[in-house]
Amino acid sequence: MYFELRNISVRYDKVRALDDVSLVLERGEIVALIGANGAGKTSTLRAITGLARPTAGEIWFNGQRIDKLDPAAIVGLGISMVPEGRHVYPFMSVKDNLLMGAYLRKDKKGIEQDLQKSFARFPRLKERLRQQAGSLSGGEQQMVVISRALMARPQLILLDEPSLGLAPMVVRDIARAIVEINREEGISVILVEQNSRMALKISNRAYALETGRIALTGNSADLLNDDHIRKLYLGLARL
Amino acid sequence: MLLNGVVLAVNYALIALGITLIFSIMNILNFAHGQMFMIGGFVVYYLYGLFGVNYFASLVAVVAVLGVIGWCFEKFFFQRMRKMATREENSMLLAVGTALLLENLALSFFGEKQRGVPPVVSGVFKIGDAFLPAGRLLVMVLALVLIVGLLLFVQYTKLGRALRALAQDREVTYLMGVNVDRIAALGFALGAALAGLAGGLLMTVFGINSGVGTVYSIKAFIMIMIGGAGIVPGAILGAVVLGFAEAIGYALLPGSITYLLIFVGLIVFLLFRPQGLMGKPWG
Ligand SMILES: Nc1ncnc2c1ncn2[C@@H]1O[C@H](COP(=O)(O)OP(=O)(O)O)[C@@H](O)[C@H]1O
Ligand SMILES: [Mg+2]
Repeated sequence: MYFELRNISVRYDKVRALDDVSLVLERGEIVALIGANGAGKTSTLRAITGLARPTAGEIWFNGQRIDKLDPAAIVGLGISMVPEGRHVYPFMSVKDNLLMGAYLRKDKKGIEQDLQKSFARFPRLKERLRQQAGSLSGGEQQMVVISRALMARPQLILLDEPSLGLAPMVVRDIARAIVEINREEGISVILVEQNSRMALKISNRAYALETGRIALTGNSADLLNDDHIRKLYLGLARL
Repeated sequence: MLLNGVVLAVNYALIALGITLIFSIMNILNFAHGQMFMIGGFVVYYLYGLFGVNYFASLVAVVAVLGVIGWCFEKFFFQRMRKMATREENSMLLAVGTALLLENLALSFFGEKQRGVPPVVSGVFKIGDAFLPAGRLLVMVLALVLIVGLLLFVQYTKLGRALRALAQDREVTYLMGVNVDRIAALGFALGAALAGLAGGLLMTVFGINSGVGTVYSIKAFIMIMIGGAGIVPGAILGAVVLGFAEAIGYALLPGSITYLLIFVGLIVFLLFRPQGLMGKPWG
């Protein structure tokens, strides 16, 4: 298996955020992780990137166990994360934000090429290159953080609620970009969303989390038409 | 008088930038900043004053000594504290502890005497109808060069970018693959080195004794309160305000009145603008 969570648990002091969560991903897949607020979606991603230490279970990537590694080593292996809430570096230029994404890389030429790629994908970033990232609109900031994560040349990208708080039109742009990244660059994606409809539309498979446990899993297309899922996860969704 | 203000202002800017660096990266108010200043002064006293080492080589030694002290403080005290404790007060108390530690070590090693050194350069410049001793001019120019160098380093190098990143968002910086512990220690070392350099510069003008630490820590706090904590232009502005206030005060008023007035002024100022001149309001 390309990427796998095996029976992962995460706790914060007394709160149990994840309980025995297992998840798999094949190379090139987009896997959606949906669930209500507080279900444990962010905790799952934090466990993968090493920001949170699982109390039980294993995480495997490309034949290597990674759950004991520190975040820098995990980035180095090719896993990048776009955290929830558009965490740009607010007082840095857009360009410096993007360069931070390439922190571990030494290939100047490749970095320059990837900058150009980001501008091709999001032309607005080029216009705003010297501007402080904190002064951009929400959609533009989301473009910055996605591009910043891509600057590390990841093989697997984790996106935590990229559509949160964005206008429907912008959400469509971001969704399109995610599909493009996956198809054109061959980057695998774990997409965390409360906007379940969008996530199910663009993903191959999905997992639904409920209070720290996997409640159900299946092909996204099937889930999109499933009555139970509709009631539980799509009722209040936007778009 | 105004020239003295300039000399003070640029050196104070070194102090303020150092404490700002540490504050913005670690969220720790470095209570030992003045003591680091004092140790920098003594390094110059011993190397240059007693052993006749070249003054500039002595300053390099200051950077090395204070760099190691700052690095060790972060590595062995603050980093461990962050991993064990969750409450902010803990690192604050620790910071006060490090100040006392340095001060007492200094007292037992350096004694209480006021120490001075022979002038590094001699001569006097006449600017308009004011006189500026060459020694002060040298100190001013060196401080200016250091400030510009620091700002360029932070703005245009990869390490500098990582320092800024860490100051703005610690968690995201982990996700960029930055070895956060190492960069934090580097930031602390750099901040300490700046304090020491200011000490090594200003001691050639005012001399040094092991009791000045607290005074300079307080000056550092005043400057960042005036400018706004954690903000680079604020630190420089605070230094300019304090440097000139001091120079003008000492020239016109009897000794202790100046600082009394500065404190009163600061309190009134903070009542109206608690976030400092360039700071953003809290909340
Ligand atoms: N830093 C933390 N400290 C304590 N509890 C936390 C922390 N982060 C998340 N939790 C708790 O863990 C559970 C899962 O949260 P999270 O993973 O953020 O869910 P989601 O991303 O699905 O909204 C929630 O009950 C939340 O309150
Ligand atoms: Mg979340």
